[in-house]
Amino acid sequence: MQNVLWLRARPRSKAMIYLVMLLASAWVLVPFLWAILNSIKTLEETFQSGAIIPFLQFQPTLDSWHQVLTDSGVLHALLSSVVVSGGATILVLAIGVPAAYSLARFEFPMASRDITLWFLSQRVLPPAIVLVPFYLMMVYFHLIDTWTGLIISYSTFSLAFAVVIMRDVFRDVSKEVEEAAKVEGATAWQIFVLIALPLSIDGIVVTAINVFAFGWNEALFASAFTSRHAQTLASFILASRGTRDIDFNLAAVNTLIAIGPPVVLSFFFQRYLARGLSFGAVKG
Amino acid sequence: MNDAPLATRSAVLPASARATRRRRFDDEIAFKYLMLGPAILWIVGLTFYPLAEVIRYSFANYVLGRGVTGYVGFDNYASVMQSAEFWHSVVITIIYVAVTVPIEVILGFLLAWVVNLGAPGTKLFRALITSPLFTMEVAIGYLGITLFSSQGGLVTWLLGQVGISVPWLSTAIGGLSAAMILEVWRWTPFVFLLALAALSAVPQEIYDAAVLDCESHWQAMRHIGIPLAWPVMSVAILLRLIEGFKAFGLPFAITSGGPGTSTQLFSIYDYLTTIQFFDFGHGSAMGIVVLAMISVLITIFFRQMRRRIA
Repeated sequence: MQNVLWLRARPRSKAMIYLVMLLASAWVLVPFLWAILNSIKTLEETFQSGAIIPFLQFQPTLDSWHQVLTDSGVLHALLSSVVVSGGATILVLAIGVPAAYSLARFEFPMASRDITLWFLSQRVLPPAIVLVPFYLMMVYFHLIDTWTGLIISYSTFSLAFAVVIMRDVFRDVSKEVEEAAKVEGATAWQIFVLIALPLSIDGIVVTAINVFAFGWNEALFASAFTSRHAQTLASFILASRGTRDIDFNLAAVNTLIAIGPPVVLSFFFQRYLARGLSFGAVKG
Repeated sequence: MNDAPLATRSAVLPASARATRRRRFDDEIAFKYLMLGPAILWIVGLTFYPLAEVIRYSFANYVLGRGVTGYVGFDNYASVMQSAEFWHSVVITIIYVAVTVPIEVILGFLLAWVVNLGAPGTKLFRALITSPLFTMEVAIGYLGITLFSSQGGLVTWLLGQVGISVPWLSTAIGGLSAAMILEVWRWTPFVFLLALAALSAVPQEIYDAAVLDCESHWQAMRHIGIPLAWPVMSVAILLRLIEGFKAFGLPFAITSGGPGTSTQLFSIYDYLTTIQFFDFGHGSAMGIVVLAMISVLITIFFRQMRRRIA
């Protein structure tokens, strides 16, 4: 919707605003474009920074893409990332959504607000601090370098987030339908599964994306707990950075594969993003 | 708290007992605790227990391969407090947060103001400038090497065209700056989205009044936008401060903490102490000290902000 401030703005102000938008777009796009550009160059061409127009200044090639996508190390890391982020998402939703519903609908001896605050306080804890006990727990249960170990770790860090957001989403869903169902004799479980869940699907999707993106992008635990078998893309990239000089063209392809999925997902689900990010402190 | 085992038990009840189970499920009290129970148990088991363990380890003498060989009182804390490397990492982290968060807040708010005007084309613009928020930080740091490299790096080349040469990745200040630039790139959308939510919640009548009363756009922003968005902005700042102290992947990927140990943020230093040198006693003590510092900083900050609002 157009704001009245825009409609009444002077032409000069309007031009200024478009200039700001143009600069901001360029600022955001440059790293993406740079990665795409390098990904279709050969290694030698990546050192000619000035060559930015494909076909005219250099001959584009998909060799780097081919090389990366046939590298079993990368493919395995990609698989690990999908399994670990997906697994954590499912686990967090399975535990967190019922808890959120319970907090949204029922009274507790301890005020629901306090429980929520308590969930929130988990957020302040820097992951680096619980690294030691988590590491020892993983060793104790033989979960080092396993998908399960990472799924458990990521679920722990995302659970608080999911509970707080979903509680808010459930609060926004009208209670009247649920009351009506109750009068018809539906059980609490039926009301939750058949009415509350379908009505909150938007919120669930956005929560899922956030949890997925967290697992996908996390590097600290991934690097600490995995070495080969369960190495995710994030720890794969971090590890390859240390071992040898960087081939710009391959680095570009790795980057694009690594940042692609969550970014594309986020493009489709702009709703609820602000609320998700602020732990429900902001209605978006 | 005892409800989770109860759920498991009821799941294996014979068919004849299903009626009882149903009645129990109907019972709101059982239902609400059954729903909440697993999450509470999970958090207690995997947050409180580890935290208690960190405190224990921070007083312990830990030897790799033999585990805890004894307790040493506050020795770990004492040696952490006396470690120049530790304080260096704390100072670097504070600089990192103190530089990036204000820039993110200012840029994020300005962009939100612009988007909130709803000029034609805004929708696409909004989705576009939100996208960095979902990128993998490690990958951005990695890409950053190719942006700031002295050989073939885009930024180096562009600056070279106008005759400026910056030793980005070979010096501490250069490396830290490169990391901070990308940190701002990565996190400004966070503040932007929150600020936008705040501005779009402002009733149209207020903007109508602004058109009549304010001489310029700047004035409208200063007298209406900033005060009305302030409560939300304070939440955004708080969350960014908390997250900022956790920064790990992006700076680690771009500088590896180097040259030397000059750009080791706290999270990187703690990670290396713990995972590379398996010095769990010192790693834990360090964690507790930093947790205490962050808590104090955030409490002070929050008090100040609340006072300013009131």
